[in-house]
Amino acid sequence: MRFRHSLLARYLLIIMVALILWPFVLPAYYIPSYFLDKDVQQKAQYIDTNKLKQMWHHEAAKLDRATPEQIDQKLHTLKDQYPLASMFWVDGAGKTKLVLSKQKNIPSQWTLENSIEFMNQSDGDPITFVSYIGRDQSNGFMVFQIPPSVTKLPTLSFIDDKFLAIYGFLVFGLFLFVSWLFFFKIRKRLVHLQTAMTETKENGIPEKIVVDKKDEISELGKAFNYMVDELIKSRQHEQEEEALRKQLIANISHDLRTPLTTIRGHAYSLQKEPLSSKGKDSLHLIENKVDLLSHLLENLLSYTLLSARKYTLQRKETDIIRFIRESMAGWYPVFEKEGFKVDVNLPEKAMIWNIDPQWFMRILDNLYQNVMRHAKSGRYVGVRIVDYEGKTAILIEDRGPGLDVTTDKKGAGIGLSIVSLMLQEMQLGWTITSSPKGTEIYLYEKK
Amino acid sequence: MKNKLLYIEDDKEISAWVSEDLTRRGYHVTCLTTGDRAPNHMEGIDLVILDIMLPGLDGFSIGQRLKKEYPVTPILMLSARTSIDDKLQGLHFADDYVTKPFHPDELAARVEVLLRRFGKMSPPLIQLSHLRIYLDQNHIVDTRSKKEIVLTPKQFQIFTYLLRHPNKILTKEQIYEAVWENPYIAGDKTLMVHIRHLCEKIEENPSQPQIIETIRGIGYRVKQ
Repeated sequence: MRFRHSLLARYLLIIMVALILWPFVLPAYYIPSYFLDKDVQQKAQYIDTNKLKQMWHHEAAKLDRATPEQIDQKLHTLKDQYPLASMFWVDGAGKTKLVLSKQKNIPSQWTLENSIEFMNQSDGDPITFVSYIGRDQSNGFMVFQIPPSVTKLPTLSFIDDKFLAIYGFLVFGLFLFVSWLFFFKIRKRLVHLQTAMTETKENGIPEKIVVDKKDEISELGKAFNYMVDELIKSRQHEQEEEALRKQLIANISHDLRTPLTTIRGHAYSLQKEPLSSKGKDSLHLIENKVDLLSHLLENLLSYTLLSARKYTLQRKETDIIRFIRESMAGWYPVFEKEGFKVDVNLPEKAMIWNIDPQWFMRILDNLYQNVMRHAKSGRYVGVRIVDYEGKTAILIEDRGPGLDVTTDKKGAGIGLSIVSLMLQEMQLGWTITSSPKGTEIYLYEKK
Repeated sequence: MKNKLLYIEDDKEISAWVSEDLTRRGYHVTCLTTGDRAPNHMEGIDLVILDIMLPGLDGFSIGQRLKKEYPVTPILMLSARTSIDDKLQGLHFADDYVTKPFHPDELAARVEVLLRRFGKMSPPLIQLSHLRIYLDQNHIVDTRSKKEIVLTPKQFQIFTYLLRHPNKILTKEQIYEAVWENPYIAGDKTLMVHIRHLCEKIEENPSQPQIIETIRGIGYRVKQ
């Protein structure tokens, strides 16, 4: 980024312009009135009294040996030039000649006394210049008087000059406005950037922003765009890896299940052959182990996918009573075959839970599977809706030896871990109470 | 007449014993190892058994294509994959789903149910205890008295729905929704009244029903 493109440079420029222009603000106010207003020009010529004094002496000197008519004419000319001044002249005999003044106390015949009195009276107010006409004092003298007020500089007062006040406010306001505009634009772009960073597309990555300037914020925008690119890349990478992992898991599943299917098929074929009772026992064992292996495999894969959050949860309002009934309808023949007493006691009323039906089916399957495998000795499975600690709960109970008893059929752990993970994701709670007389599992909604 | 099955499976060992088993159970089985040429073999096929992991076109694609062309031919998916995603994807078009390693009895039972459900195996009559049922003629005869049992249309629909799903427990929601074609409202007693009247007509002893078995708390079942 070059310095001239930076926001810093622009801000410094604003400050510099303000500082440079400030001394010209007042002159800028007066210059137009000086040129446009004649009155002001008129007034300006009285301000420098020394210059006036010189002018007066100079004019007087030029009148050497002039006739009284010439002196009169000159005075008229000067009066036209300086209308605010009073002028008169006195001849060598002390007689007042032409008086271009409204003043009353000018003596017609000058004596020493009234000369002194006149000088005393006009001590500083009015400002008085006296010049001898020509080089010879006997030619008389001429007097120039102006009131001191016209010689003063005009005062700067906002109270007196309303236009000056408005002008001041305008200049100040302009500076404020430019500064505000500068920061407002920065703020707008920052807010825009912030919005772009927080708003994400469906893939969870924010959209890139358009960078059209070359300053610091644009640099930030570029960095942000770079980050988005990196995110997209890593997301792609992740998806590829995920697809690979899923494929791998599916392949393992397939590769293990296919031989299992063959084993089971041949075991089934063997059953049709004449076998000794020992042979039949072995066959039964093989079949059981095939079952166990396939369940273990299924649970292992489910657990891997679930813990990696690869199953998508799709919760919807579901009538849980109906759901349990339909799930049990599928399991009933299995329990029946093993001689279980199936005790289903569900209310007639619908009970709505917000669950993913596929997941919940899996949970019930795992729980029934556990009953089948670990509580066969109890020959009992019960499903009821009960009140558990003030909550409506589904109770699944068996009369097996309890979960603490170690049996030769391992694998309950992972099955229950899946149940636990799935329940947690659906914000359902569960409690297991187990004793040697049986196991009770309560499922309920977390409030 | 034998029902014709098309069985697509790439594993030769599994293919061999499954087709042998199904042949022994009285089906005519055509085996294919890939699905690419499956459409050429669909002539007169009553049911397709389809593996998912196949060389070339996978089972999902073949199944979807077959279902589009032959919507009334049931498809049973057979898979070594069990993830929930697979099940959902498969069941969009498949009519049933069996996971490996399956039990031959289970496969055979599912095949039979599917064939019956799709009317591919309409037995002219079903002999059930003392009843002889002519499903296609809406005709039921009590073999002891040789008299016809007359059912109301709803009673007959309920009975045939149960007969079409033999050995399967059907919940009252499922029966109600299949027969009335309306969503079941919890607590509705209509179905139970109909079943009671049905039992009074067909059961020898309605207080101890033998034909329509009541599974307490779950639903009803007809064993065949």
